[in-house]
Amino acid sequence: MITADVWKELTSILPADHVQEQKTAETRYGNDGQVLVFPRTEEEIAAILTFASTAEKKVNVCGCGSKRGLGGTEDTADILLSTASFRGIKEHSVGDMTIFVKPGTPFRELQDYLASHGQKLPIDPIHAENATIGGVIAANESGPKRLAYGSARDLVIGLRVAYANGEIIRTGGKVVKNVAGYDMNKLFVGSMGTLGVITEIGLKLRPLPEHESLVLLSFPEGDIDDIQAFSEKLMKSRMEPVSLELLTPALAETLTGDASFTLAAALEDVASSVFYQEDYIRNIQPANARLSILNVEEAGAFWERFQHTFALDTSEQHQGTEVLVKIGVQHSDVLEVLKEGEREALCEGGHGGMGHGLCQLHLKGDKKQLADSISSLREAVEEKGGYLVVQHASLALRREVSVWGEPPAHFFLMEGIKTKIDPQRTLNPKRFVGGL
Amino acid sequence: MRRKKRLQTNDKHIKNLAAIVGEKEILFHKEDLTAYENDGFTIHSYLPKAVVFPKNTEETAEIVSYLSRNDLPFLARGAGTGLSGGAVPLNGEVIISLVKMKRLLNVDLKNRCAVVEPGYVNLTLTNSISDKGYYYAPDPSSQYCCTIGGNVAENAGGAHCLKYGVTTNHILGLEVVTPDGAIIEIGKNGIMDVPGYDLLGILTGSEGTLGIVTKITVRILTHPEEKKTVLAYFDDVADGSQAVSDIVSEGIVPAALEMMDGTAIEAVESAAYPVGHPKDIEALLLIEVDGISAGIEEQINKILDVCEKRNVRSVKVAEDEQERARWWANRKTGFGAMGAISPDYLVQDGVIPRSTLPQVLGRIREISQEYGLRIANIFHAGDGNLHPLILFDSRIPGETDKALEAGSACLQACADVGGSITGEHGVGIEKREEMRFVFSDKEIEAQTNIREVFNPYYLLNAGKLFPSPGRCGEVKKEEKAAASK
Amino acid sequence: MDTDGKTAFEEPPCSTSQLSNYLWRDKPDEDKWADCVHCGMCLEACPTYEITGQEQHSPRGRVHLIKAVAEGKLEVSEPFTDPVFACLDCKACTTACPADVDVGGLIEEARGQIRQAMPLTGWRKGVSRFFLHGLFPHPGRLQFFGNLLKFYQKSGVQTLVRKTGMLKAMPEHLELMEAVMPEVQEPIRKKYKHETVVKADTESKREIAFFSGCVMDVMFSDVNESTINVLTRNGNDVAVPQNQTCCGALHVHAGDRDMGRKLAKQNMEAFKQADTVVGNAAGCGCMLKEYPELFREVDTEWREKAEAFAEKVVDVSKYLHDTGYDKPTAELNTRLTYHDACHLAHGQGVRQEPREILLDVPGVEMVPMENADRCCGSAGIYNITNPEMAEDVLESKMKNVPEEVEMISMGNPGCMLQMAMGVKKYGRSANVVHTVQLLDWAYQKEEEQRRQE
Repeated sequence: MITADVWKELTSILPADHVQEQKTAETRYGNDGQVLVFPRTEEEIAAILTFASTAEKKVNVCGCGSKRGLGGTEDTADILLSTASFRGIKEHSVGDMTIFVKPGTPFRELQDYLASHGQKLPIDPIHAENATIGGVIAANESGPKRLAYGSARDLVIGLRVAYANGEIIRTGGKVVKNVAGYDMNKLFVGSMGTLGVITEIGLKLRPLPEHESLVLLSFPEGDIDDIQAFSEKLMKSRMEPVSLELLTPALAETLTGDASFTLAAALEDVASSVFYQEDYIRNIQPANARLSILNVEEAGAFWERFQHTFALDTSEQHQGTEVLVKIGVQHSDVLEVLKEGEREALCEGGHGGMGHGLCQLHLKGDKKQLADSISSLREAVEEKGGYLVVQHASLALRREVSVWGEPPAHFFLMEGIKTKIDPQRTLNPKRFVGGL
Repeated sequence: MRRKKRLQTNDKHIKNLAAIVGEKEILFHKEDLTAYENDGFTIHSYLPKAVVFPKNTEETAEIVSYLSRNDLPFLARGAGTGLSGGAVPLNGEVIISLVKMKRLLNVDLKNRCAVVEPGYVNLTLTNSISDKGYYYAPDPSSQYCCTIGGNVAENAGGAHCLKYGVTTNHILGLEVVTPDGAIIEIGKNGIMDVPGYDLLGILTGSEGTLGIVTKITVRILTHPEEKKTVLAYFDDVADGSQAVSDIVSEGIVPAALEMMDGTAIEAVESAAYPVGHPKDIEALLLIEVDGISAGIEEQINKILDVCEKRNVRSVKVAEDEQERARWWANRKTGFGAMGAISPDYLVQDGVIPRSTLPQVLGRIREISQEYGLRIANIFHAGDGNLHPLILFDSRIPGETDKALEAGSACLQACADVGGSITGEHGVGIEKREEMRFVFSDKEIEAQTNIREVFNPYYLLNAGKLFPSPGRCGEVKKEEKAAASK
Repeated sequence: MDTDGKTAFEEPPCSTSQLSNYLWRDKPDEDKWADCVHCGMCLEACPTYEITGQEQHSPRGRVHLIKAVAEGKLEVSEPFTDPVFACLDCKACTTACPADVDVGGLIEEARGQIRQAMPLTGWRKGVSRFFLHGLFPHPGRLQFFGNLLKFYQKSGVQTLVRKTGMLKAMPEHLELMEAVMPEVQEPIRKKYKHETVVKADTESKREIAFFSGCVMDVMFSDVNESTINVLTRNGNDVAVPQNQTCCGALHVHAGDRDMGRKLAKQNMEAFKQADTVVGNAAGCGCMLKEYPELFREVDTEWREKAEAFAEKVVDVSKYLHDTGYDKPTAELNTRLTYHDACHLAHGQGVRQEPREILLDVPGVEMVPMENADRCCGSAGIYNITNPEMAEDVLESKMKNVPEEVEMISMGNPGCMLQMAMGVKKYGRSANVVHTVQLLDWAYQKEEEQRRQE
């Protein structure tokens, strides 16, 4: 229930149509707010936060809500702050290959805009169609091409952040190389909005490659062990694939029609180099593997389908019970993890980077089955020294299983940071590791 | 060498520390300590209380915990090649030298990572995995001798970070002794994105103020299939800097894109690794492209075209590895080479958006005239990381002050175009006050708040990185003047 | 500082060095340390830093301390002496230094100051005087000493001493040194006593003067013999001036610069007539080339003479390489590695020439040595004065010597002795040879084959 004074205060900051009362009694994914606000400026964000911290209100933060199923055990907070109306490009210096954007800018829109200048932000998170750049940064999202380009943490050069008390802090700067003071950008990238509301993001860009293609190598059932040897050989070679993503048979079937373990090696460079690498791969491909090469358009279409494979519906009407888990292991364990996923009855498909060790598995089933499946997968992964994060799950399930796993021994430092920056725990309460 | 060094001291702390590390692994005579009063930044000198040489993490933790219990300030030091004074014992610290922790603990080619102790030398890592086709990418010019522990503290860059990123992009895990002596491990087995705040990110580049790193897991890469290096001479600095922007605008991501101006060329040509650059040019560019052999030629041709368009006097591609190595040795020893043309130099480390290069270089020339000091420029043009080298002679009264002021003015010029006061050398003690050029009091406080979480009693490397609260410009000037005396 | 020291003042203090704690003339040269910007590029090149990890034992640390004394921050005292005398004088730092700082020159000047401020006492003084003043500068005495050694080796006393284990009473490093001592033969200066010039074998093309060295000529006269053979074989008339003396390197390293100057003058006189002075001991050659440094502050006239003299000095390998030599035809089937003597590689910049000579000998297979130009720890008599450090340096060196070689070639007698100790101590089997010896052996074999035909 929202009280009149909260309403009054918020409508004094924002136009009334940017403040909504949240009517639903219970939400499926949680991380909601009793009142929903859509600030359009940094000042409005600061004012909302100043009010909230003074009035001891809790604030959840979201963009368009694509990560509502990631973390958090709370149904709702007093206020849900959405950056969806705070969007647009603030400054794009084409020659410097840097861009400064507002957090609510849809990720897709940003990429399309950059493409028109022959540039790109080299992050390829999945189901990004509804994601905002703010969300991608706050969750440190990445995809298969992380192999070559790194993740959000490697690309953010500066941020403006509204602290819970409404203070605006700048971190980093406008230049691509900077060690003035602590590297505070890193603190906010991937912090799930628990330390502040990102109000501006400065990013390093890359030129769009002159040419690209995608080499698909499918391995028949009897030859799965060739995958490891081949991947190692390619990684050890001096070729520079920008992805070396292994798809489970189920996922491969959806994407290519061929239900076998498939490696997707993307190549991006000048044309001569792309062709040269295609030849190289052709020459070292294992005897029984089937190789196909997708040209620029086909590759584009493939990655498009890849993005949508786990089209998680975060709307409240969605009835399916599904889970997406992210698994981090050593590169050499990716195949094992995906095999483990294959054996798992609930697994609808998955993929993992042979050169970066991050995997995703998509599970479907009822709550109990999913909880069991998550804990058995986690056990297997932790045995390998890795971790498992539940990347998307319903609130009910998140209350049942640990989303982030056990906090590390040095958790006290993270807690210390949270306490220093947001002592009242105003922002995204209990959203992150160990209830941060 | 004295055969058997007996502990001739009545200082109980020295005795107790010696009991931890062994009598041979502690220095406390003034003569020995004098060698530790500076790092690569020589304007301020302070004697440490002692220097201890732990052999492993446990000894380091024991030392730290002893010092912390006894309220004694301390700091960690590697090869002491830092250029901003980060390892200078401002408060008479006990220096914990990590140079004896210099083992390569593990190389895991399958997972493309290696584990080293902090005293392990940067280039030694590349040398020891090179025969297997791998290397460690961050290559600060001091890589012949600087330690990876120091690289982590400073978030070291280098010529090739334009394409490959700086140290922080290559750190996968750290073992850290916290300022109260606890041992923590961040990241495991080189696995990425371990859930939680990015402590690796905040520790890397914290200039030794948050903890002492005792083990480092780094990413290693396979050597590019081919490298080609271009050397271009320009009669006009503006043409050279335009060429830099043009190359990047062509969609080329060079591995390195370095620039030297006439004064810098004079220095390197009169030092240990002359190449035979013409003496009358205003700028040279050293451009390296690497990657798949089949694509290199195309990129080189584009670069040559760009240079021609920008009125290059002459441009050539290195014929073989030897020539390439000679060009790089000439470039990488550039700072030290200043010794050959000037008794002292002060190197600054500003960063600017690449597009403002001509403007800022012009401003630096003005500063040089205003202060009557020569300024050489050797810098990573590709990422806009300038290194104005202010040449002076500390034996001439007042010249050190002038140099410091000129350096500060260069940084102001960088800040004025939206740049940063340091791209890779760190703030240390040198640029504490200049932090105000780029951060407000609140923003600085946001950072010191983080320090308080890790280093609450402020015994570890105190006085670095941040300006003292509420200092005005006048006081700063006096302090610098005093320091130079 | 003792008060006697003050009376030793020979020059009025100039204004810039009022604070200086260097009280004698021939002070460490301010211009040399002004070049040092403390960048640290020298650290990894320095063997004593490698062993100790301590910066007072690093080149930039030593330079900093020497400067600190000049600035009056430190005094010339025992703890200052320690780092200054632990330097091996290997000059690797000079190679590594981007600004060409002459660390070696500073160290030697500082040692000169130390020895004047704190003269040696007790047994050290005795040992030092015996070797440096009593023995090395006097060829007659050295030869007598050589004869004693020869007697010791030939008479059976050596066998007896070894059997009885009398050696166990000696410090380990001296015991090892005894074990690898080369068999003493007739010094060439004695052998060619009555000839002013050893004529070229065939047509004489050039005339050179040979610097025979003092200890070299007694302990390694076979190397000298080989050198003369190789030179005469290639059309050089070789003069061996009889009044030449010890080069003075050991004296200068020990801080006895006055004696160094005395010997330098004698050598310059002895070689006055020569246009080219060829040496085969890198340490000596390097010293001869550095004579100007000794007279830098004290004597302009001699400094100029020394500069002219230094120009004439050349190592035998470089001389052969530059003037040409016959490529031997006989095969010496051997696998060897090459060790860069510090005073050849770092001191004289001679690296490639000896390698090329070795590779010109048919049947020689060269196995590269890692860190070939890293000091072996011999460093003149450093292995006698600083045995512990010398041993650590040697150990590190031996780790780099490839396992499978039959010979280790080099261009300096001090290194030969030290490396021979290394071979013995670490149970290796390689023979230690001088580069010119290999060439000589190949020529000899060629002769032999020709005779048999």
